[in-house]
Amino acid sequence: MGLYHSSQAKDSCGFGLIAQLDGKPAQRLIKTAITALIRMTHRGSVAIDGKTGDGCGISIQLSKPYFRELAKHLGFSLGHRFAIGQIFLNPDPIKAARCRQILEDELTKETISVSGWRKVPIDKDVCGKDALKTLPNIEQVFVTAPPGWQRYDLERRLFMARRRAAERVTDDDYYYVASLSSLMIVYKGLVIPKNLSTFYPELAHPKMKSAICLFHQRFSTNTLPLWKYAQPFRFLAHNGEINTISANRSWSVARKSKFFTPLLPDLPSLQQLVNQSGSDSSSLDNMLEVLLAGGMDIFRALRLLIPPAWANRSAMDPDLRAFYEFNSMHMEPWDGPAGIVMTNGEKIACNIDRNGLRPARYVITKDRVLTVASEIGVWDYKEENVIEKGRIGPGEMLAADVSSGKIWRSGKIDDMLKIRHPYLAWLRENTIRLRSNVDLEKKGAQYYIEENIEKLPIFSHLFGVSVEEKEQVIKVIANDAQEGTFSMGDDTPFAVLSQKSRSLYDYFRQQFAQVTNPPIDSLREKSVMSLETCFGREHNIFQETNGLSYRVIISAPVLNYAKLQQLKSLDQTYYQFQSLSINYSIDANLNTALTAVCDRAVELVKNGCVILQLTDRDINESTMPIHASLATGAVHQRLIKEGLRCDVNLIVETATVRDPHHFAVLIGVGATAIYPYLALQIINQLSLEGQLVDELITARKNYLKGINKGLLKILSKMGISTIGSYRGACLFEIVGLDHAVSELCFPAMPCRIGGATFKDLHNDVLVSVANAWGSDLPIERSGILKFVYGGEYHCYNPDVVTQLQLAVTTGLYSDYQKFADTVNQRPISTLRDLMRLKLADNSSKSEKIELDEIESKESLYKRFDSAGMSIGALSPEAHEALAVAMNRLGGRSNSGEGGEDPSRFNTEKNSRIKQVASGRFGVNAKYLVNADVLQIKIAQGAKPGEGGQLPGNKVTLEIAKLRNSVPGVTLISPPPHHDIYSIEDIAQLIFDLKQVNPSALISVKLVSGPGVGTIAAGVAKAHADLITVSGYDGGTAASPLTSVKYAGTPWEIGLSEVHQALIENGLRDRVCLQVDGGLKTGLDVIKGAILGADSFGFGTGPMVALGCKYLRICHLNNCATGIATQNKNLRENHYHGLPEKVMNYFSFVAEETQQWLQQLGIKSLNELIGRTDLLQLSQGTSDKQNHLQLQVILDAAKRPSNGACHYMGLRNPCFDKGVLNQQILKAFKNRLNVVEVFELEATIHNYDRSVGAALAGFLASEDVLDTTDNSVILKLNFLGIAGQSFGAWNYPGMQLRLEGDANDYVGKGMSGGRISIFSPENISYVPSRSTIIGNTCLYGASGGELYVAGQAGERFAVRNSGATAVVEGIGDHGCEYMTGGIVLILGPVGENFGAGMTGGIALVLDLDEHFSNQCNMEHIQVCSMVEVMSNRVLAASLNISRTTIVQLLEAQILHTSSRWSKKVLQNLDNYIDYFMLVIPKETLSRQTQALPVRLVNEK
Amino acid sequence: MKNNKTDNLLSFIDTPRKVTNKRASAQRNKDFDEIYISAAPEELAQQASRCLDCGNPYCEWKCPLHNYIPDWLKLTQNLKLNDAAELMHQTNPLPEICGRVCPQDRLCEQACTLNTGFGAITIGAIEKNISDHAIAQGWKPGLSKVQYNGKSVAIVGAGPAGIGCAELLTRSGIKAVVYDKYPEIGGLLTFGIPGFKLDKEIVRKRREILETMGIEFRLNVEIGKDLDIAQLHQQYDAVFLATGSYQSMDGGLPGRDVEGVLYALDYLIGNVNEQQQFQLDDYKYHDLKNKRVIVLGGGDTAMDCVRSAVRQQAKSVVCMYRRDKDSMPGSRQEVINASEEGVKFIFQKQPLSIEQVDGKVSAIKVVDMKPETDSGQGIGKFKADMNSEQLVEADVIIIAFGFQPSPPNWLKDFNIQLQADGRVITGVVAGNAQDFLEHPDNRQSHQQQVASVNQANLEQNSYPQQTSSSGFFAGGDMVRGADLVVNAIADGRQAARDIINSLKSCKSE
Repeated sequence: MGLYHSSQAKDSCGFGLIAQLDGKPAQRLIKTAITALIRMTHRGSVAIDGKTGDGCGISIQLSKPYFRELAKHLGFSLGHRFAIGQIFLNPDPIKAARCRQILEDELTKETISVSGWRKVPIDKDVCGKDALKTLPNIEQVFVTAPPGWQRYDLERRLFMARRRAAERVTDDDYYYVASLSSLMIVYKGLVIPKNLSTFYPELAHPKMKSAICLFHQRFSTNTLPLWKYAQPFRFLAHNGEINTISANRSWSVARKSKFFTPLLPDLPSLQQLVNQSGSDSSSLDNMLEVLLAGGMDIFRALRLLIPPAWANRSAMDPDLRAFYEFNSMHMEPWDGPAGIVMTNGEKIACNIDRNGLRPARYVITKDRVLTVASEIGVWDYKEENVIEKGRIGPGEMLAADVSSGKIWRSGKIDDMLKIRHPYLAWLRENTIRLRSNVDLEKKGAQYYIEENIEKLPIFSHLFGVSVEEKEQVIKVIANDAQEGTFSMGDDTPFAVLSQKSRSLYDYFRQQFAQVTNPPIDSLREKSVMSLETCFGREHNIFQETNGLSYRVIISAPVLNYAKLQQLKSLDQTYYQFQSLSINYSIDANLNTALTAVCDRAVELVKNGCVILQLTDRDINESTMPIHASLATGAVHQRLIKEGLRCDVNLIVETATVRDPHHFAVLIGVGATAIYPYLALQIINQLSLEGQLVDELITARKNYLKGINKGLLKILSKMGISTIGSYRGACLFEIVGLDHAVSELCFPAMPCRIGGATFKDLHNDVLVSVANAWGSDLPIERSGILKFVYGGEYHCYNPDVVTQLQLAVTTGLYSDYQKFADTVNQRPISTLRDLMRLKLADNSSKSEKIELDEIESKESLYKRFDSAGMSIGALSPEAHEALAVAMNRLGGRSNSGEGGEDPSRFNTEKNSRIKQVASGRFGVNAKYLVNADVLQIKIAQGAKPGEGGQLPGNKVTLEIAKLRNSVPGVTLISPPPHHDIYSIEDIAQLIFDLKQVNPSALISVKLVSGPGVGTIAAGVAKAHADLITVSGYDGGTAASPLTSVKYAGTPWEIGLSEVHQALIENGLRDRVCLQVDGGLKTGLDVIKGAILGADSFGFGTGPMVALGCKYLRICHLNNCATGIATQNKNLRENHYHGLPEKVMNYFSFVAEETQQWLQQLGIKSLNELIGRTDLLQLSQGTSDKQNHLQLQVILDAAKRPSNGACHYMGLRNPCFDKGVLNQQILKAFKNRLNVVEVFELEATIHNYDRSVGAALAGFLASEDVLDTTDNSVILKLNFLGIAGQSFGAWNYPGMQLRLEGDANDYVGKGMSGGRISIFSPENISYVPSRSTIIGNTCLYGASGGELYVAGQAGERFAVRNSGATAVVEGIGDHGCEYMTGGIVLILGPVGENFGAGMTGGIALVLDLDEHFSNQCNMEHIQVCSMVEVMSNRVLAASLNISRTTIVQLLEAQILHTSSRWSKKVLQNLDNYIDYFMLVIPKETLSRQTQALPVRLVNEK
Repeated sequence: MKNNKTDNLLSFIDTPRKVTNKRASAQRNKDFDEIYISAAPEELAQQASRCLDCGNPYCEWKCPLHNYIPDWLKLTQNLKLNDAAELMHQTNPLPEICGRVCPQDRLCEQACTLNTGFGAITIGAIEKNISDHAIAQGWKPGLSKVQYNGKSVAIVGAGPAGIGCAELLTRSGIKAVVYDKYPEIGGLLTFGIPGFKLDKEIVRKRREILETMGIEFRLNVEIGKDLDIAQLHQQYDAVFLATGSYQSMDGGLPGRDVEGVLYALDYLIGNVNEQQQFQLDDYKYHDLKNKRVIVLGGGDTAMDCVRSAVRQQAKSVVCMYRRDKDSMPGSRQEVINASEEGVKFIFQKQPLSIEQVDGKVSAIKVVDMKPETDSGQGIGKFKADMNSEQLVEADVIIIAFGFQPSPPNWLKDFNIQLQADGRVITGVVAGNAQDFLEHPDNRQSHQQQVASVNQANLEQNSYPQQTSSSGFFAGGDMVRGADLVVNAIADGRQAARDIINSLKSCKSE
């Protein structure tokens, strides 16, 4: 068994549905659906054989005439009401017969008669090799209902029979019921879309008709997917990923006892409601079918499972809010990127997640056919037949009923739901909202101080609060209401390796979203986040009664004294409160003590306890605490097992929690709420010592606020928006705890290398106990954050830094050797330190390899990259020195994410690796073509799942220029790439990049974490050429403290997992695998290679060589070594870095590598990769270390007996050849020398992606033509529907005109030229009210113009830094993170406009006078255009006037002939009053005069 | 990690390094009072604000006591003087003394990140002044929570090592009784170091504090003479030996027996004895008024001698050193102070012999020292040019070549082993692992070797200050040879930890 499991596969895809709204079934509709699938082939994955895909399928209405005739033909007797099952069976006839029998048994129990089985005709020839290996025997079962049953009676009983049968078949992986229904049938398989109807010939049968077709095309992160994972499932097809799946699954278990419905009285007899492993979408499908079978209607079921964001939307209709709040009390959201289409055979619906992370566009044509799909243009309807088109926005739902022909749009559904019951009245009557109470809080604080302050040292020793933690963590949060910033990364050993006593929370590593789902920006997209927490018994969700609203609500799960007191004093009949000590006798053992606590908890709950408080507060000299995380986890698990968890709420009153991570762990393992008494007492003490800025109660409030903020950040890192879906989700990986511990307390948490046992943990606490009661030692200075003599070990301690700097200065290898020895012989600090090299036996001199036979230094240099550090983080001097050093050696330097000065291109200062990060700073065509490697930075080792911020004071003129911004304007990097929300999106970005720079290798930088192997395999399938795996120990210029300390895992685990995944998926030869994180010496290189790395990234090492002294002040812009600063004085007078020093360093590392190779008897690194036989696990220096089971890492990295085991230098080309781009490029090259104006006409389809990018890349890389001065014009005119990334990285001189629609990412990274998009003439819909371009348009654009005569999707102009755009309406999150450019919006605007917008200007025609409610006012101010114009000074300083609007409108009319724009222009005098101007606050604050402008709705 | 928004992040550039004011040399040359003028807390706070609070605190790392320098700089910056003093005392029982006598320019201030062109933080001045202020305001160690655990330890020698040990033991609930043959505590701090560097009142004040803590000093008691070591061994749970090293080195210089040739320590102690009226019979007072004085040597002791001579109104005072100025081993600041006070420096002269007239010193015969070409790092190499003999006239020659240990005789009664040069052996010597490793042929078993050495250290070397005789610990100059005050304190504290741990493990066995 290795680290990588193919079962962790994640998927994403293209999806959609087509329905004839009048319910007329047609064969044509099925055909169209298959066409649509084919049109979205690029959203799935296609293997090199051109046959194997990850699966696709359609779900259609059961064509009764067809099956009746078939039954007749087969001699089956079918009753009046019948159903067909589409069943996957084992190819082994005996096994298949057994499963058939089981299903028949279960059907018979329900008195459903089985009429017969039929082998479904299939054409195996269209299957690829891998698909054939797992091809099931596909059969259909014909069953008949007893007379008198109604339609849904049959469906319900089929459901129970099917579920029971599945529970009986536990040992047959083939057995799977794709569908079993009288209404629908599912055809799916591991084929590519164009072969679906060949594979299932009956789909093309003229009598096979349907009025509803759901279709789905899958992109899996592994190359060996299973047939049953293809979608659609029985009710739905899902595009995206349910981030909260582990919580949803575990709560479905906990809640099973609460589900009761008279329609399914035997529901409790099922073992589980949803499957606990496998595909997240299938679990969601399971839950949906339970709800539907139980009698819930589609609308409530879907809104319950995937609600829109409501908690922080004050503008929402109160009745509607009440509906959502009421429903949220009994089910947490299934949250994550989700586009869902579903049907029950009659109603159809499409639902999008709260943040709009998946696209869904719809079109209704005159023949009443509704098409919803991930893209527009999936089949060739005639534009003049379109009567309506649009998109389904965040949290919206679209539904229709083909039996009545009725369509419900989102608002209609909400209206219908909210009036069903008097939700608001119920809530007002029965729900208690706890608020803080200052007087009570003061009393509590005072009481603690008086009673307990002298005990503080005892508690501090016992629970390990160091001076450092008090000063740097607790005090900072109490003063600033947010955690401190930290730089340079974590260079301390993992808790299990440490010789010091470490908090148990240090063993938990936060999981984070990468590639397959996006992290959320909890600051800028706060409106979708919620920490609201409920108390009280849960009730039956199927019965909506006022009793369900008997709940107590708190706004966040962190309690203060006042709230805890209020909880204790609630009506004990409904909210019985009990306290349970988790301290145990020093002589007892931890494991038994835990079990005893669990037993006691069960007893209390059975006796009616509703609020159970676990506490470690009653400690005394003869007892010691069970760590709160263990106690909470174990109790939570036990209560679930006993079916009691939903009867009780767990409060944890503990001294162990201090920073946001601690709280997150407890909630993650099941706590409802937490009371941090020790942290609050320390704040009391700080206040007594006069160390706080604010008075005590405010400081305590600040602390809770800071913790809540941190919690939101941790949730959002995983892409989760509500605490309810995070609770119990176990979204951590345990590094260093014994399996027995994790089994008992957190079974769902990955725990792969074992570690500290119950006994070890017990012994650790004993030491603290001795210190606490035995003596009067000063409180420890742990040195965990910063080096302190005698404290925690730091890998970059002063010895290491000074020795390295001496060596690179003297240039003597002997000096380097001292450095290398210090590092290589350090106390065990990393997992690799426990792996010793088995050196060759020196006695056999004959086999000794001479140095000149060993891979040369020059060859080794090619494997060395410097890690991505942006100019901005580094001074230009340091950044250039790194580039020069790497270029001279033949290695590669990395630009980082801040752009690069074009004058460095084609010189030795050019960074050969150019980074493409979420901020897209300076990422334009010119930048992209001047790279050998384009690195997509998904995550950074020091802070995976988070964005960054370059504060205005660091944005100098130079930096601003490189990042296309204004000096002094804060630049925000969003947490996600807004064009990568799922795996098929990264495939798209890779395709974009390969179009613009076909010669570059595309690299994807990932951070080690559980499942990184799966993600890497997916990324390789998305055609990346190079994958970097970073360890937790990567550097950073600025990150929140807990991000640096608690996210990411050691690269040893991630690297070998990725290596294994790539080998198992047959992708290893085409992907170059790089490791990065804390590499310092040749020995690191050797061990990295053995564990699977072809290439090596060095971050801090070369920096230290340049003179960095590891001061950890990078974020302050005052780096005394002149490296991490933009300060002129420091750079000019105190920077002493020379490229030669860096070259010395790499030369030493290469030399040391050679020496080790020689001693290993190996000639080259390629021969070393995967040679885990050369590593031997060595004895550790503590019990904990010795309990680690690291063999699993070695096994994962092991060389396979055959097949490729390292990078062979192959390219990983995209399946899609970009035909249209190639045609354009060819046409242009042919006429290159002839004209100054180049013009071209072409039709375009949704599968023509990134159109224009290849030409942009060509123009940017060749000197043939200077298009930047507007003298040369290239006109490209298109008709049709453009695929994704239309006009990506558009280059000056390129004018793209599109008559039709475009999909997502229009004008991504555009730096010049023009794109205009408009609808054809002869149409019957109103373009200005229709969505004609997709989501995330103009992402990272830095120049050029975009004119759209219609509306755009979500996140329009996100990170725009210079483009001018006119559009007639946009979705949510418009102009997010914008730093420059002008955007004119002539229509409706979605939620959260201008979040993080620090520059540029937006003009909005606000006819509803509603706009300011839609804005996120944190960074912007909104004022009326008229008022601004009346203030001449302001208008002049902003360079804005009525003429601006006129000019933009004229341009819009000129390029798109927009009728709406014409109307506005003609009546501008009437409309001018409605124009609102959005100005970033930073822009205003730079104006010299105080400006008396009345600002609208300043919150 | 600074989060205080009011911090000026560029304070280390905007505020230049400023050492505390000295009295004018013309004035200070006339007395033995301290030369540095106390600084106002506000001025110190401003200097402290220059600290970058580095991720790697090089100052703290370089300090033998690993004082929490950045942390108390921050407290100083916020004018929390008592808190700063409290924190200083967590690692050092004598901060006001270290602040005065430590060669900061070779330790913390040398390692300071800002010592690369910005000017190091004035750590020494801050340490001295802040502790002075705190003590003047009545700061006392808070020991209310310490519980006496019934153990007691005898300490032989009330110098910095002895004090270092006694203070930490006391804080840990162990009774410390310190014996010394002299009438005052401090050892060389009191008797060797002249008053212009360390006012004796400071030591007296410190003695008060230490006694308040519960440390018992039994002065004028010489072990081996007034009291038998065996008695201590029997009476106490452990014994810590810290008798220093008082034996002057003479360099074998011909003519050294002549009148007018003095040994540095004798001269300095005689001086203090006279000024403080300690009535030490062994040390004679030498008045150098109107004498031409040459001091041989370039260390801190030599500086103490020249500067004392200046204050005695010597006619001329010369410091003669074998190497060049950059190679001088002592504190740079002391050299500067001496120059200011009128001392002349003659570098690169090797003394050959002392010339006499009438049994009295008349001159010293020297040759030039020429630098060797391939001088690399560290102290330069010089070679005597024997053709350059010359005479330099003088009335008094003070030899300041350093001291060597003077191990008491009774050590052998308990089989306490010594190095060849008389220093007491403590801990386990790790062998010459480093040399072994540096040899490329030995790289093969590199890791294994070091691992086993580490293992050995862990197991056997857990009490670095224990002597070869169990129950006896030793530290300071008697283990190191003549060395810095701060190293002696560090030894004393380590010995205290060793003793605490060894007593603990006895208990559990």
